[in-house]
Amino acid sequence: MPVKEKEPLIMHPRPSSIVAALYTLRDLDTDVVILHGPPGCCFKHARLLEEDGMRVVTTSLDESGFVFGGHDSLVEVLEKVIRRFNPKRIGIVGTCASMIIGEELHEAVMDVQPDVPVIEVEVHAGYRDNTKGVIIALESALAAGIISEAEFERQKALLKEATMVEKRHGAASKEYLAPSRGDLKFKVAGRLLELMKQGKKGLNILNAKKETAFMFADINLDVAEVAGKTGPGSQIINMANLDENVGLPKNRRNASEIKEELIRKGMDIHHITGGLDEYPIAGDTASRIIGEKYQDFDFAVITGVPHALPMDHLKNMELFSITNGPRQVVPLKEMGHQHVMVEIDLHPKTLGVNHIVESEFGATLREMSKGA
Amino acid sequence: MPKQIAIYGKGGIGKSSTASNVAAACADEGHRVTIIGCDPKSDSSITLLRGRRIPTIMDLMRQGMDIREEDIVFSGYKGVRCVEIGGPEPGIGCAGRGIIVAIGLLKKISKAIEDTDLVIYDVPGDIVCGGFVAPVKKGLVNEAYVLTSGEYMPLYAANNICKGLSRLEMTLNGVICNSRGAPNEENIVSGFAKEIGSRLIAFIPKDVLVQTCEREGFSVIEKAPDSGIAEVYRKLAQSIMENKEGKIPTPLDDSKLRELTRI
Ligand SMILES: Nc1ncnc2c1ncn2[C@@H]1O[C@H](COP(=O)(O)OP(=O)(O)OP(=O)(O)O)[C@@H](O)[C@H]1O
Ligand code: SF4
Ligand SMILES: [Mg+2]
Repeated sequence: MPVKEKEPLIMHPRPSSIVAALYTLRDLDTDVVILHGPPGCCFKHARLLEEDGMRVVTTSLDESGFVFGGHDSLVEVLEKVIRRFNPKRIGIVGTCASMIIGEELHEAVMDVQPDVPVIEVEVHAGYRDNTKGVIIALESALAAGIISEAEFERQKALLKEATMVEKRHGAASKEYLAPSRGDLKFKVAGRLLELMKQGKKGLNILNAKKETAFMFADINLDVAEVAGKTGPGSQIINMANLDENVGLPKNRRNASEIKEELIRKGMDIHHITGGLDEYPIAGDTASRIIGEKYQDFDFAVITGVPHALPMDHLKNMELFSITNGPRQVVPLKEMGHQHVMVEIDLHPKTLGVNHIVESEFGATLREMSKGA
Repeated sequence: MPKQIAIYGKGGIGKSSTASNVAAACADEGHRVTIIGCDPKSDSSITLLRGRRIPTIMDLMRQGMDIREEDIVFSGYKGVRCVEIGGPEPGIGCAGRGIIVAIGLLKKISKAIEDTDLVIYDVPGDIVCGGFVAPVKKGLVNEAYVLTSGEYMPLYAANNICKGLSRLEMTLNGVICNSRGAPNEENIVSGFAKEIGSRLIAFIPKDVLVQTCEREGFSVIEKAPDSGIAEVYRKLAQSIMENKEGKIPTPLDDSKLRELTRI
């Protein structure tokens, strides 16, 4: 019998499938999500998501809920949500607690019979890959007629790639990954300025996941601007995964907001490598373009998910990577990225915005270029 | 849609032996039958497989198997498809969750519960938590049967099960009496059935053949097809296959139940 190659145990905590489902529901323009579970579950993200205009409430299952079931609480909260928020689209999301005791989300929906669509997501946090939470949410959205079969298949393929990206060089690549703050930003900025002054040729690549691009793009914008001023002879090619014609509604909106702002601020985007949800494959597109046109470039600045870019055509370049995951530093260094920096707490700052947000590395680079 | 039934009753009352004999009798009639053992002790299909123990879904999951249909669905007596969900040892982990996960997997990878004429869910004696009603909650059961003897405690359990069924808005399609030789048994069980809004569909006498066949790994249908008890199971199988009447049961209060069981 075909025994699966036992996947190695990973000890560091990783993103939760429940949270992944919540963010997916937000991307689907859900107004209110009911978390069916304990009051503290997903607390931090539930709060942050409200910045994006999605309400998250909880059925607050307690010890007695675990023992006697939480059906009545779910019905009660669902009724309250309808009365209080008058939502156009509701999500109900499971948690470990409610799923283990066998709660049936659909029963509450049948009891209440809301006249708006309800996306029921039977998810818990016990999946190895958090992308599972996204898939389950999308399956329910498909069942509720909110996304098309084609979009579902597209998303599924992307998520498979995203999982592979994490397995190869990301959060799921090692038994334990120690967090790190990465290299000092002013030192790295100094080195980057040096290369620009020497008129070296550089790639400036945004390959970011969804709304995180609101801050990562700031770095690419500063790199482009500073290079223009510092080394008039230096050639910079800009690439970005800002295709506004693909993905779920929010991702399309965000792509066009960022793109317009970059263009307004004078940045040429030479190549669009994909959409904001295509970061797992846009890296391959970027790599192909590099292979065709820019193999002889001297350096590359890569923001967002730098580990999604294959190293094939980057090996001979000096690499400047900016991630928002402290556990991503070690794998990037191992891939051969010379300079790796972390924008700490980036994600929270990119929720609830529709404009580019200042980054630490961008600001550092700009300041240092003034003295140069 | 196939007929999807679940047999409930007090622990040890005879659910598994009844389920496997009914499965065998239906297979004799040419029906395609699937039996799903939902008990962690995984003893539902053993008498359809000549005493052989098949790997359970939970065993394979635990080993990290990439589970395919042929790893968990086994062909028993006259092609009856046998599945055992299995589960943890008593006192460890969460067997109910096991059932939820296994049912989900089975639905995904196998047609055994769709592309068939009869599915029998053999559940353990006590529905101790939400997981054990997963097949019902997932809409995979459309008929329930309660098995009981004429004694007070099995009837008490049967009545409790009816409470559960009515809460789940699940119909009860009949009461089966598995006799323990108690006095006035058939009348008592028949009376109980009427009181809860159902009917007695079979009276299975106590017969040592059930146990001797079982010990050798057979149903009586296979090992002793000419016996009287085999005929009883055949009749029961037939009435289950023909049964279309189900009603949400109305459970009794305890004093009524005591009165009813007074001999
Ligand atoms: N009609 C019968 N005559 C004689 N013995 C019987 C009869 N029905 C069942 N038995 C015996 O009773 C014992 C318990 O039966 P069985 O295992 O089917 O019960 P069960 O309800 O499935 O139990 P559990 O709740 O533990 O799963 C078995 O040894 C079985 O052979
Ligand atoms: S264990 Fe699961 S249910 Fe409990 S808080 Fe964590 S994610 Fe939520
Ligand atoms: Mg049994």
